[in-house]
Amino acid sequence: MHSQIDVESYAPATAASVRNASATGTKLPFSQAYLPPPGLYDEMFTSTGEVRPHYAPILPLLRMRHDELDEMRITAERSLLHQGVTFNVYNGHAGIERIFPFDVIPRIIDYQTWSRLEAGLIQRVKALNAFVADVYGQGNILKDGLIPRDLILESAQYRRAVVGLKVPLDIFITIAGIDLVRGDDGNFRVLEDNVRTPSGVSYALENRAITAQLIPEVLRASGVRPIESYPADLLACLTELGSERFSDPTVALLTPGPFNSAFFEHVFLSQQMGIELVEGQDLVCKDHKLWMKTVHGLRRVHVLYRRIDDDFLDPVVFRADSLLGVAGLTAALRAGNVIVANAIGTGIADDKAVYAYTPDMIRYYLGEQPILPIVDTFLLRHREVREKVLRDLDQYVIKPTDASGGYGVVIGPHATERQLAELRSHIEREPHRYIAQLPVKLSVHPTFVSGADGKLSLTHRHIDLRPFVLFGQRPRVLAGGLTRVAMREGVLIVNSSQGGGSKDTWVLGPSC
Amino acid sequence: MLRRIAGNLFWLARYLERAEWRARLVDANYRLLVENPGSRKDELWPLLTVTGEWELFCEDYDTADERSILAFLTFDRRNRSSIASCLEYARANCRAARNRISSELWLEINTLHLEARRWNSDLLLSHGLMAFFAELRQHFYRISGLIENTLPRDLGYDFLSLGKWLEAAENVTRLLDTRYHFLLPHPRDIGSPLDFAQWTALLRSASALESYRNTYGNQIAIERVVEFMLFNPTFPRAARFCIDHLQSALKRTPGAWNGETEIIKSAAVDVPAADNLFNKLRSGTAAAAIAGGLHEYLLEIQNDCAAIGDQISAAFFTGE
Repeated sequence: MHSQIDVESYAPATAASVRNASATGTKLPFSQAYLPPPGLYDEMFTSTGEVRPHYAPILPLLRMRHDELDEMRITAERSLLHQGVTFNVYNGHAGIERIFPFDVIPRIIDYQTWSRLEAGLIQRVKALNAFVADVYGQGNILKDGLIPRDLILESAQYRRAVVGLKVPLDIFITIAGIDLVRGDDGNFRVLEDNVRTPSGVSYALENRAITAQLIPEVLRASGVRPIESYPADLLACLTELGSERFSDPTVALLTPGPFNSAFFEHVFLSQQMGIELVEGQDLVCKDHKLWMKTVHGLRRVHVLYRRIDDDFLDPVVFRADSLLGVAGLTAALRAGNVIVANAIGTGIADDKAVYAYTPDMIRYYLGEQPILPIVDTFLLRHREVREKVLRDLDQYVIKPTDASGGYGVVIGPHATERQLAELRSHIEREPHRYIAQLPVKLSVHPTFVSGADGKLSLTHRHIDLRPFVLFGQRPRVLAGGLTRVAMREGVLIVNSSQGGGSKDTWVLGPSC
Repeated sequence: MLRRIAGNLFWLARYLERAEWRARLVDANYRLLVENPGSRKDELWPLLTVTGEWELFCEDYDTADERSILAFLTFDRRNRSSIASCLEYARANCRAARNRISSELWLEINTLHLEARRWNSDLLLSHGLMAFFAELRQHFYRISGLIENTLPRDLGYDFLSLGKWLEAAENVTRLLDTRYHFLLPHPRDIGSPLDFAQWTALLRSASALESYRNTYGNQIAIERVVEFMLFNPTFPRAARFCIDHLQSALKRTPGAWNGETEIIKSAAVDVPAADNLFNKLRSGTAAAAIAGGLHEYLLEIQNDCAAIGDQISAAFFTGE
């Protein structure tokens, strides 16, 4: 393949050669072999093969010997496995623990680009928050006709049980993970909002720890903004919400348990925050208050950072067969005796059909122009739109409106005839459950990939970015986020549940 | 501390202790075979009687030779008490209580668990079984060291202690019981060189041989071994030492609560079986235990241990 180079054929770089190269902007030998793929945006190289300036600090990595790289990869994988930095996969066998493949070449975002992204993310989550508050409150945006009422009421994510519920600081979305992609024009767009129980932040933090272990000098010399304060920031936000109602609130993290795919993250965050990690069986509601069962009796919980979907939270109100939640939670919530973060019902804001209206929301609630564009989205509930899309179904990406994690997404250009036929009949049966988007040509990043022969080569892989936005009394954004890599060539879905890997994400400071 | 987490920590310590005792037991008896020329290939089988797993073994294996018995006791996952199974349960409890455990301790336990997944007969025998067990011992010592050096002396530590000391006390009685089961197949063997080797192996499997000699000198006599392993107040693997420490951990549990606001108080912690065994081991003597029937006496202690386990579980791990 023209874009692959054999890493072995390169002599190790010297500090002088790298310094010289970055100072003069001359081409380095490897950039002649690693050709940025035509028609795609390469994060590290320009279309003519020049290294983008903010990537200069990591050039030595591309000149390492095959055995050095292999050693790093083995060190990283062993470290992840032994530390139990794993996620569980359900397909086939129950509870297989897998590591999230890690690539040593970091993804780098320069200061200016990040500043703009950060402002756009804060703006977006602020608007999404206002939207959730409005939908379960006055419903102004529906009355004003900006979003069709039935689209909201028919959404699988709409929760009648929380209509009229007041939450502290009017914050429904405490934690948001906004998926960003960079298209072939080099511009970032929002691909998806995750405002229910977004995951992945622990991998971002662990990736940094591994990078620090593998390439400490490179990291130190690069002026990368630290990210280690995330758990403290999260606890601060949760405590700020709690302090609106209680003095010295107790915060706990609710997990579905060790078999959940994100259990490692639940452990990691609760440990870093120094709070109890509770399961449904540890909790009980009494007198419309939430308690946890301790060896000394029942202890009050004021703020519940839940990592369980709405449906499983309270068998009294939602799914009666759920053993993961706690009966009576919604009543305690309504009595104002407990705060749940994210609030119940926030899923209405990351419904894929609602996504189409997010630029309008930003203008409506904030009176501002959206900083971050979205991907053009077509609602298949509209007949003319549907007919047009169905005519060229293989040209579109089709997504179910209420799913997350990449499940159910069909990429038209990559789908088989049979998949398309099946999809067509699904859409015709339940058109409101689907949206269509034109495929985004995700940007690519040089990535070390081991071939079938176990040999490493440098090649390009598609990536995205999931930054994490926290809201308490003020917004806090993790500098960077989780960069996910589609580890198979040409594959556009980067979700860990779909076999993706990840990279450390560096945001450079202002001086760099 | 959550009731569930307290239970996880208790069982984590129990399974670790059980795995360690298992390893000592197999190691010491294998050593005995190696050091006694002419021993037969199946001479590990009494271990299956000691551990009470003879029937389970027969379900899965056709022949009881060295290889199959070692496999069964060491890494066979169908045997819920094999060393690898114990490590797997320890690790599962550790994972569930992960946020109460230091990262260093978790790393060590998870690494050992991952290694245990790769165990097989060839691996065990390739470098020699003794080398295998020597390395395994190092893992257990590292784990103990990490527990002592990286965990705060709080409730979590107390529940780990409860599990450890209860399991250790129970295992000491099982070890002594091997005497009843197979160390004395024929009365005429008493006092013979084989008898001496077997008692030595027994003490060695509790890492007690050196301490015993420091206390009683070179002569190994049944009464003194029983005195040492059951009633010695200073040796960490003696039953009395274990129950003394269990009792003090138990006494600390109500006091470790630091008065958080808004708590509904539970009934007082009640583990009468622990008081009972505590007093029994303080007033007991080897002479009396042997006179009344050693096996019966050991069974009684095992029943006391089971009752302590039940009462701890009822007091701390279940209910509101």
